[in-house]
This record gives sequence, structure tokens and C-alpha cells, in this order.
Amino acid sequence: MEILFQNLDLFIFIVLMTLGYSAGTWAEKKHYRSIKKREQELLKMAVVTAEGSFPDDRIAKAELVSGSVVVSIDYFKRLLAILRNIFGGRVRSYESLVDRARREAILRMKEQAKEQGAGMIINMRLETSTIGRSANKKKRVGSIEAIAYGTAIVMNQA
Amino acid sequence: MKFTPKHLDNNVNVSKSHPLTELLWLIGGLILIAGSVFFLLGVTTNWAAEKIPVRVENWLGGLALNEFPAEKSQALQQRLNALLAVIPAESPLHDYNFTIYRAATEDVNAFALPGGRIVVFDGLLAQVESENELSMILAHELGHFAHRDHLRGLGRGLGLAVASILFLGENNSASNLISKTLLTFQVKYSQDQESAADQFGVDLLTARYGHAGGATTFFERMSEEAGSKIPYILASHPHPENRIKALNERVKQKKYPVKQTLSLAETLTIPQ
Repeated sequence: MEILFQNLDLFIFIVLMTLGYSAGTWAEKKHYRSIKKREQELLKMAVVTAEGSFPDDRIAKAELVSGSVVVSIDYFKRLLAILRNIFGGRVRSYESLVDRARREAILRMKEQAKEQGAGMIINMRLETSTIGRSANKKKRVGSIEAIAYGTAIVMNQA
Repeated sequence: MKFTPKHLDNNVNVSKSHPLTELLWLIGGLILIAGSVFFLLGVTTNWAAEKIPVRVENWLGGLALNEFPAEKSQALQQRLNALLAVIPAESPLHDYNFTIYRAATEDVNAFALPGGRIVVFDGLLAQVESENELSMILAHELGHFAHRDHLRGLGRGLGLAVASILFLGENNSASNLISKTLLTFQVKYSQDQESAADQFGVDLLTARYGHAGGATTFFERMSEEAGSKIPYILASHPHPENRIKALNERVKQKKYPVKQTLSLAETLTIPQ
């Protein structure tokens, strides 16, 4: 017990690390399951980055749709990234965060378009930004924001 | 062009490697780097210990003393000064401004810190029975200074603390832990260093009193009690019996006379 109190810093570090790893992995797996399921559901909704051109009488409605999401890093991912700062190389622990954020943003945009009754989204754009600069520093929370936006097209029934 | 919706199962944007495998590789690399730095520091410290000027050492010692809460002792200082008076004038020991401290700790030990600081534990003073024994212990510590063991011991601890601060940042819990543990552990010397300091001690003791009486009596009592009160001193020092043997050989070889020891003066009050 005494050893525990003497090295309280280290103990807290290990607890946060274990918590970060287990909670982070659980959240990530859950998120990916949800992403895959919803992607399958919205598969019919076409999303393209092209501007597209349609005859005027074919289009009933064209509207801006957007979806954005913020995903936080966990303690374990941050430790891996800090170690990467020493050795260099791909920051693998952050790759899944960026992937999740972008796919989730596109999904939310698609969901919004579906509510409008649209069949497709054209001119889709995707942007990423960080919230909380210098996230690798002590006592800073780092997270990623991704926003997807495009033009939802509702066609006239031919 | 016909649009065919299709779901792609393979995700190329996320690496397939397991995060724990990555952690192991990275930490392994870090340990390897820290290990080689530690090794290099050990080599360079040994080399540099001979060459560090006493002025730099005094400054280092001020930092190290903060780790050991202790008070200056006038009674011990007088005995130390008497020993210093008989050291040959050309000795580098005269560059030091020696200060002696007493620490209220039960452990049977004494040690040398950079900058001419000697710390004696009350536990050791309680075991001392004569003036000659006390002088022998002080002379032994002076031997560490003469051979610059105190710098060798402290150097790597300091070096590792510096290295961990470089890698992990100041005020980091890990680097604090490393510097704390190493500063205390590394103050212990190797058995060879202890034997060399013993030889220096017995020479100085003879110079002080004109005979080598009391050089071994302290260790003889330690030897009888070995295993009970003094596991601490045994860990870093040679076994008392080996020390007595080595000291007796020295006395015989140098033909030092052995006479009656002086009993301990009243001025040195020892809390029991």
C-alpha cells in the first residue's frame, strides 16, 4: 500500500493508460460496427465529388446538406503518438480516428439528405480540422473534427 | 454511365497492426536508447571523474545534499580537521572545504557527497567505541574523496536523470522517479572502491595517531553482529571479515605499530 502512495503519479498513469486502452478500443469497435451497418443501409444513396449537370425540368429541389462530427483521442492513443514523436514514422494510432471521423461525417450528411427525400448528393467536399492545438502536450485534450458537405438533389419523377 | 452501389470491405486507410504490438516496439526502442545512453554515461563519468575541478564539484554537492536532511556537527568537524592537518600538503584533498553532517537515521552508514560534504548517520555513531575508530571511519570517507568515488557514484545517476528529462520532459512523473531512485542508489560504491578507501583510511589513521590501533576493531564488532543490525552496510561494502583481513595485511606490510586506543570523548553525545 505504501509503495502505491509513494508512486501515486506512476499509479495514476498506469490506471489512465489501461482505462484509455480498454475504453478506447471498446468505443472504436462499437463505432465501426455502427458505421458499417449504416453504410450498408445508405448504400443506394450516391455521393459524388463531381459537379454534375441535369436538365432543369428533372430537378425538383437542390439543397445544401452537411454532416459534422468530433472524435476525441484517448490516453493510450496519445501515448503511442508521443512515442512516435521520438522515432518518427506513421502515427498508426491516429489513422483510425481520422477514418472514423470522415466516414461518420459522410454518413450524417447522407442521413440528412435522406430526410429531404434526395436520391443523390453531388459536389461533395470533405474537410478536417483539429480541436485543441498541441494535443500531445500535457493536460491538453486533442480531438478531430470532420465536416462533409454537398448538394442534395431531389429528382422529379420522370 | 450507370451507378452501381458497392460496399468495400477492405479499409486501406487504417493500418492493420495491433496497437499493443506497436507499443511494445516503441517502448523496446526507448529502453534500448536509454540503456546505451546509461552505458555511455557510465564510461564517460569514470573518465571525467578524474578531471572534474573541485569548484564544479562544490556546486554539484549543493544539489545533492538536498536529498539528505542533515545538520552540521562541530564535534565531528574538530576530529576531521585533526585528520586533515596530517594529510601531505601536496594532496588535492586540500582544495576541498570539508563540512561534516550528522543525520538522525538509525542506519549504520556514512557517505561522501560531492563538494567535500561527509554525512554520518547516528546509527553508526552509536556503534563507535573509541576516538581511533571514529577517525578510521572519517579517514575512510576522506579516501573516497581522494579517489573521487563520490563523483563516479553520483555521475551516472545525474546523467540518467538528465537523459530522461531530455526524452520525457521536465516534471514528468517518470523522470522524477528515475532521478530520485538513482540519486540514492548510486551513492553506494563498489566493493573495490570501498577496499581502496579502507587502505587510504588506515594510512591516514597511522599518520594521525602514530599507530594503527582501532583500524579494525569497529569492523570486528560489525563482523560479530553481521546478519542482525547491519544488512544495509553489508549490501554495498565488502564483508567485515574480508575488510579486517585486508587491513591487517596492510598494517603488517607497512610495519605500522598497533597501540592502545583512546576512549571516546564526552563532547560527542550519542543518542541511544
